[in-house]
Amino acid sequence: MQQILIIAKQTFKEAVRNKILFVFIILGLITICCSVFMPVVGDGREKIRIVESMCFRSITFFGTLAAILLSASSIPTDIENRVLCTITTKPVQRTNIVFGKIIGFIYIIGVLLIIMGGAGYALIKFTASKQSAQGNSKLLAREKFDPYTSQVTGESVRKIGNVSWVEGGGKGTSVWKFKGLHSKDRKDGLEIEIDFLVESKKRSTRKIPINIKAVNPYTAKVLTESIEVSRNKPGLLKLGSEFLEGGEELTIVVSPENPGDFIGISSNSIRVFFGNKSFEYNFLKGLTIISSQFLLMVIIAVLGSTFLSLPVNILFCLFIFFCGNITDFMRDLSTVINVFETHEHGHGISTVLKKTNVFVVFLDYVIRKPLFLLSYILPDLKNFSVGKYFVDGINIPYKTVFMSFGYAVLYAVFCLPISFVVFRRREIA
Amino acid sequence: MDNDTTIKTENLSKAYRSFWGRKKILALDKLNIDIKKGEIFGLLGPNGSGKTTTLKLLLGLIFPTEGRALVLGKTTNDVDVKNRIGFLPEESCFYRFLNADEILDFYGQLFKISRKERKARIDRLIEQVGLGLARKRPLRQYSKGMLRRIGIAQALINDPDLIILDEPTSGLDPIGTRETKDIILALKERRKTVLLCSHLLSDVQDICDRVAILDKGKLQISGTIDELLSSKDVVEVLIRNLSDEAISEVETFIKERHGEVISVKNSSDTLEGLFLKIYAANINNSKTDV
Repeated sequence: MQQILIIAKQTFKEAVRNKILFVFIILGLITICCSVFMPVVGDGREKIRIVESMCFRSITFFGTLAAILLSASSIPTDIENRVLCTITTKPVQRTNIVFGKIIGFIYIIGVLLIIMGGAGYALIKFTASKQSAQGNSKLLAREKFDPYTSQVTGESVRKIGNVSWVEGGGKGTSVWKFKGLHSKDRKDGLEIEIDFLVESKKRSTRKIPINIKAVNPYTAKVLTESIEVSRNKPGLLKLGSEFLEGGEELTIVVSPENPGDFIGISSNSIRVFFGNKSFEYNFLKGLTIISSQFLLMVIIAVLGSTFLSLPVNILFCLFIFFCGNITDFMRDLSTVINVFETHEHGHGISTVLKKTNVFVVFLDYVIRKPLFLLSYILPDLKNFSVGKYFVDGINIPYKTVFMSFGYAVLYAVFCLPISFVVFRRREIA
Repeated sequence: MDNDTTIKTENLSKAYRSFWGRKKILALDKLNIDIKKGEIFGLLGPNGSGKTTTLKLLLGLIFPTEGRALVLGKTTNDVDVKNRIGFLPEESCFYRFLNADEILDFYGQLFKISRKERKARIDRLIEQVGLGLARKRPLRQYSKGMLRRIGIAQALINDPDLIILDEPTSGLDPIGTRETKDIILALKERRKTVLLCSHLLSDVQDICDRVAILDKGKLQISGTIDELLSSKDVVEVLIRNLSDEAISEVETFIKERHGEVISVKNSSDTLEGLFLKIYAANINNSKTDV
């Protein structure tokens, strides 16, 4: 353990004395500060949103970049400069060298996170106080509730991918049930956010009217509203907290008003917010999730550095970082290729493919299957995306924090033994 | 392996392979050497002869493709045995942002030497290698010779039983070379084993008890300096203050005894010797001036 800490300290010292760490910190701080000067169209909340979004995106971007570049380069550079040639002749287990390096990078990333996180928090607070002085807005960490069941019924229902389409005019409805709607902070009441995909047979129509029915199953109290929704602008329905009297459950029924209008529903199309939590805790939870992503990238970069050269390792890490952010897209793409191939929808392309079997085989074995496999092997970095919580002013559930940390630890448990075995067998010439 | 043997190799071979696993070059071919405790052993050979490969194999930096090596009775993969080894690599490669004190402290900590003992050893070694005035300067400001000196100091930080030195005098000025040789000889007096590689044959000849010459990865010859260099039928006599007439008489005497005089010439010093004399004289003068 003592040797691990010595190497960790040395790794940290190297990053500090070579001034690499400060370059990332300064660039990150400049980006965070720039958010204050960005022009805003909208209310005070919009300004806070932009600052929060920029803050978390800067920390994530520069932190990940630092994690990749520092940890991907350390071992290859030490081998190239022959520093490791001297260290490995000392009574140090090679596993301790790898472990020490990782701990060192965690120190470095920790410092970066503290400095940039501190600056970001100060800037968000400053922006919020300025906006609230003008009576505009406050920092939000609203508690979000997911439905425990959602159901789409009716003759018109058709499912394409993850989206279920429902036609209006009494041909289909979607029913969402929520429970456990409990909050200490009840003064702002319930907010129901509705975000559907929208299609209409009338090509010129971008907005369609929908009927929303909120039902309290205990008191049988019903509230019916008709609102207009469009693809880019979610609808919002506000209910007083007294609507939930008698229980903590809520049922929402949604359907388009007119025949020929369609709404595309996915699992997170309706969100219910009730009560506001502490922004400070939420901010810390956000930083914890981001640090889990940094840990994951450090582990992957160190794994690569045990067998790859410096430029190849950096490319390898950037590839993982890029693909890790588009795993959903990769999965969707592999599904789309599958649809074409199996002629499910009688699409024009499938007719062509039917006649060219070689191309079908190529698509299947060279693109679709590897893509599908990769989308599950590569880390899904969307698990560490916290910007959306702050932009929407949503409290991050503790479950998400633990899940993302656990996800990073799981990868570490898988990658670290491989790193140790590979590095132990590596020749340091 | 008996207790008196420090290093023993048995058919030690190393082949470097290409990316596709094909054998590219045979860097070392069935090397068998035996180095005894307390001796200074020199490994000689031209560039690419396999000297550095041998050292790396002995240190466990690379792995043999055939054969095995025992160092201090253990295999080269044994980490504990490294507690008793000091190594000076061919190029002194250290963290350049550290200074002499810090780098020695870093290596001392890796050997788990106590803080107090570490400090004492660092002070002693820094004085021994003559870096007292530069100990707080970062290594990136050091000359090649200074880096060699700090390299020697780090190799001795754990007071090792076996010291492996790759080109120890490369980049050093004649004084540094002399001091390094003195350090190596002092180690021998303390019954430490030294294995060194060098291109500078005169250095090896000066200090080594035994040498082995490698070429193209193969051991060409090995033995003590005397065994390898002495000619049994040639005698060398060094005489001071003899007149030309007396020299002629000695030559005549030798011829009468059927001996052959190969050459008669005035003895000359080496350049290293001359340099050291001038340096010593300058030091004495400066002391007198003071």
